[in-house]
Amino acid sequence: MIRFFLILLFSAFGALIVQHFIPALPFLSGARVLLMPLVFFFGALTLPFGGMLALAFACGFMWDALTVQVIEVGMGPSNAMVVEIGFGWSILLYAMLGAVMSGFRPLFKRGRWEIHCLMSGICTSLIVLSEFLLISIRRAALYNVPFEFNRDIWWRIGGPGLVALVLAPVVFFFLKSLATLVGYNPNEVEPEEEV
Amino acid sequence: MRRFTLFALIVFALAMGGVFTLGPSGTQRAQTQFLGVIAPFLEKGSDLERKITDIRRGLKKLEELETENKQLAVSNKELQAINQTLRDLEVENNRLRTAMHYRERAAFQLIPARVIARDASSWWNTIKIDRGSADGLESDMPVLTESGLVGKTTVVAEHAASVILISDENCKVASSIEGTREQGIISGERGSGTSQPALCMRFLSKTANLQPGQKVYSSGVGGVYPAGVFIGAIKEFRIRELDGYATLLPAVDLTTLEDVFVVLGKK
Repeated sequence: MIRFFLILLFSAFGALIVQHFIPALPFLSGARVLLMPLVFFFGALTLPFGGMLALAFACGFMWDALTVQVIEVGMGPSNAMVVEIGFGWSILLYAMLGAVMSGFRPLFKRGRWEIHCLMSGICTSLIVLSEFLLISIRRAALYNVPFEFNRDIWWRIGGPGLVALVLAPVVFFFLKSLATLVGYNPNEVEPEEEV
Repeated sequence: MRRFTLFALIVFALAMGGVFTLGPSGTQRAQTQFLGVIAPFLEKGSDLERKITDIRRGLKKLEELETENKQLAVSNKELQAINQTLRDLEVENNRLRTAMHYRERAAFQLIPARVIARDASSWWNTIKIDRGSADGLESDMPVLTESGLVGKTTVVAEHAASVILISDENCKVASSIEGTREQGIISGERGSGTSQPALCMRFLSKTANLQPGQKVYSSGVGGVYPAGVFIGAIKEFRIRELDGYATLLPAVDLTTLEDVFVVLGKK
């Protein structure tokens, strides 16, 4: 299990690097292709709950380390540096969505691989939506700028989910092959689950 | 609840507690460390991307190459002629500068940097460059190209740095409009489209008489950006309840940035 966890960890890191070189999709109003969540959601379905939490921590930490912004607010002597969205929110988000995915493990173990595909699509969009809500609420407080949902924003939220839906089977079979290669069978019942 | 799950939850909660208590400086430290780890991989990826682009560019049809070759031969002769004229002017210019003890024309010390990655997120507009603290970079240093302002550095690792673009809502630039006394604050718009993102200029006076195409420059107020750097041109001006609001077309194409300059300070 540890070997497979490490494979998922390196795959998540690799996916994070690769997604930097995939341009925004102009036909989906600039939606981004997010690969790291796909790897994480595969881990959430195949790893035991503790492993899923560890992977959520790693993925959320890496994402926050690249995206969180420390900004200056206020003018003159009253200015201060603040973290726009606290470091760690993505970890919590990944853990919550991972917990939801873990709930589908019994179905997944019965061979329903399409669970990963469908849930990856929904959960990827939920990640982007949550980020949008978090920054909107925060910026409304900081700059007094109201937030609005327009067509472009909806596409930028839904687009990554649609792309994840399409890419999920590829990622699934790639990671499943790696799992087989290291002798990890996610369908096996862990001793603790028999209790 | 199973013991392993309970143990995992406790460890996770403790780790979360540790992460949530990171203040701004702790966050920046963590980001700097992680940028240092990921930068070599981004740089390798960027090299690979450039090689692939070069190969694709090289795979042109023979006819296209012949036409291009003819055009290049013509422009080569033109450039040779211009070059000769400029050489004469350079000699004359240098002679006059020496005679007048004229100071250097470039006001800033610039360091060139290559863009190694763009932000992969949906709501933040940043790029990563291949220069860091080892090259003298610090946070809050202006970044520009020959066409105009790009943004400023934020997280600076040893050999890489993160640059927040002017198209990001969190990047604010004090600016002024050419030919007027109007001043305002420029920032990006949240969730602006994929094509060239628009900028917005707030806090203009409601009576401002602004026309599309008027140029906007940094005003130097705030101390981060030097005055007089071209930011963009006005696209549209409208009056709101409390202030005037203009949308701008950025001077720099922020979607295809490849090489930039970081302003290290005055010479």
